[in-house]
Amino acid sequence: MFLEDCKILENYQVSENYYLMKIESNKASQHSKAGQFFMLKVKNEIRILRRPISLHFVDKDKNILEFYYEVKGGGTKEFTDLEAGEIMNIQGPLGKGFKTDVLDKKCVVIGGGMGIAPTKLLINDLKKNNEVIFIAGGRDKNAIEILKNLDLEGVKTYITTDDGSAGEKGNVISALCKVLEENKIDMIQTCGPHKMMEAVAKKAQEAEVFCEISLEEKMACGVKACVGCSIKTLDGMKKVCHDGPVFDSKIIVDVNPKENLGCNCN
Amino acid sequence: MNRLKTNFLGMEFKNPMVTSSGCFGFGMEYKDYFDPNVLGGIVVKGITMEARDGNYGTRIAETPGGMLNCVGLENPGVDYFENVIVKNIKAAGIECPIIVNINGKVIDEYVEIAKRVEKIAEVDMIELNISCPNVKDGGMAFGANPDVAGAVTKAVRAVTTKPLIVKLSPNVTDIVHIAKVVEANGADAVSLINTLLGMAIDIKSKKPVLGNTFGGFSGPAVKPVALRMVYQVSQNVKIPVVGMGGISSTEDAIEFMMAGATMVSLGTGLFSNPILPVEIKDGLERFCEENGLENIQEIVGAAHQK
Repeated sequence: MFLEDCKILENYQVSENYYLMKIESNKASQHSKAGQFFMLKVKNEIRILRRPISLHFVDKDKNILEFYYEVKGGGTKEFTDLEAGEIMNIQGPLGKGFKTDVLDKKCVVIGGGMGIAPTKLLINDLKKNNEVIFIAGGRDKNAIEILKNLDLEGVKTYITTDDGSAGEKGNVISALCKVLEENKIDMIQTCGPHKMMEAVAKKAQEAEVFCEISLEEKMACGVKACVGCSIKTLDGMKKVCHDGPVFDSKIIVDVNPKENLGCNCN
Repeated sequence: MNRLKTNFLGMEFKNPMVTSSGCFGFGMEYKDYFDPNVLGGIVVKGITMEARDGNYGTRIAETPGGMLNCVGLENPGVDYFENVIVKNIKAAGIECPIIVNINGKVIDEYVEIAKRVEKIAEVDMIELNISCPNVKDGGMAFGANPDVAGAVTKAVRAVTTKPLIVKLSPNVTDIVHIAKVVEANGADAVSLINTLLGMAIDIKSKKPVLGNTFGGFSGPAVKPVALRMVYQVSQNVKIPVVGMGGISSTEDAIEFMMAGATMVSLGTGLFSNPILPVEIKDGLERFCEENGLENIQEIVGAAHQK
């Protein structure tokens, strides 16, 4: 984990509330992997907490980190004002990422809305040694505009939107059902709205396929010191910042729930 | 010459800087950013007899200049603390004094945990947290009722030989009175302030943001309140004061010492700046040099009106 002052290379609007920022990082970039996140410092000191932003992509040869982010409040709004050449302090990489040390497997990656963010690096790493099927979904075409920034060559891709403005009208679950019917899948990895991931995890458990989900939680420190992002799991209390954000779905989603698990996010 | 060396309750601290309970985990969480031995001492996360899950739902909310938390004392319990955590702290080479923040639901539980901690050789001091839990006989916070605050201090004092710091709540009518009462009942020092009770509401859902409705407010926004309380308390007790509340810079730490704090404690400030302790240590050394001080303790209480 590093604290690093990084130069912003690019920062532009992808669509609506969605932005992409590329920064130069000599240290953190060399140790980053898919599914990890960074705590990015907001310049205005009235906002005292860093913002946890997941890693979109890393180019280790050029020392570039990419962050795809959505404007949700004042802090992320402020990020959109940053211009190329400005310096931002970053803390990371943090947390446990997705499993990528697999070989000759048939992998399904599912990204929903902002959850598409970590899939660029995940797909990039998986497809070197595995067959990857990608399912991406969003509210409308704006929510999935970022897909044009992904390298999906050789990746069978299904695209869905709620309103049908891009890809198939529908959601990622129906696409997943089709994929599971037609293929013998070894691993499913997903990031997106909690309800979507819960549905994915249930499908995975029914099909007895290993499944990882990436959770989001309000956090202050990013290093399990403040215990703010703690969630209840079947394996006890876990810190999203340290034990996650990527978890084996089996400890988060119970197919026969007696209690609400890991459901802090809406 | 170490101009920051501070004698606190009979122990030598390399500098007057400790961490606030609940903001520095169990001492190792920030080791990638700085050597924990840079600190004068470490106050670890509050512990209870049994492991606690803490509160469910959202625990953190940012507000201008501060934040709210309703963690609810999530911790692995005293057994795990004694058998695993303390051993890990020492194995990691942490040499600075370790202060343990203890909590109970009733006085008997405070006594029970104090007895356990008394036997842990690696623990140098106890911080008694009387700033949030409820008592069985009336539901009033320990720290808000002078009689109860006095009674729990006295009961814990009777079962420990370790230096005893009592952490005070700012959510009271007269913090000076509470400080005097815990002093009279055997506290060796007081630490203040714990968080201020606050809340935030999500206007879209029309619901409180925090899972537990209310939470503790901390950060730079509370500094003026904390500073005022340290200023008042330190002039009215003979025991030393550990000052905290929104310290985010060397200047903040100096203000607290001038207000009368022998020691200063860093909490929320670590979250935005994980190397804050290093910056403050260097800043205090520079301040001593620039002002011709033999030791930083010379400024303690400097702002008190004579």
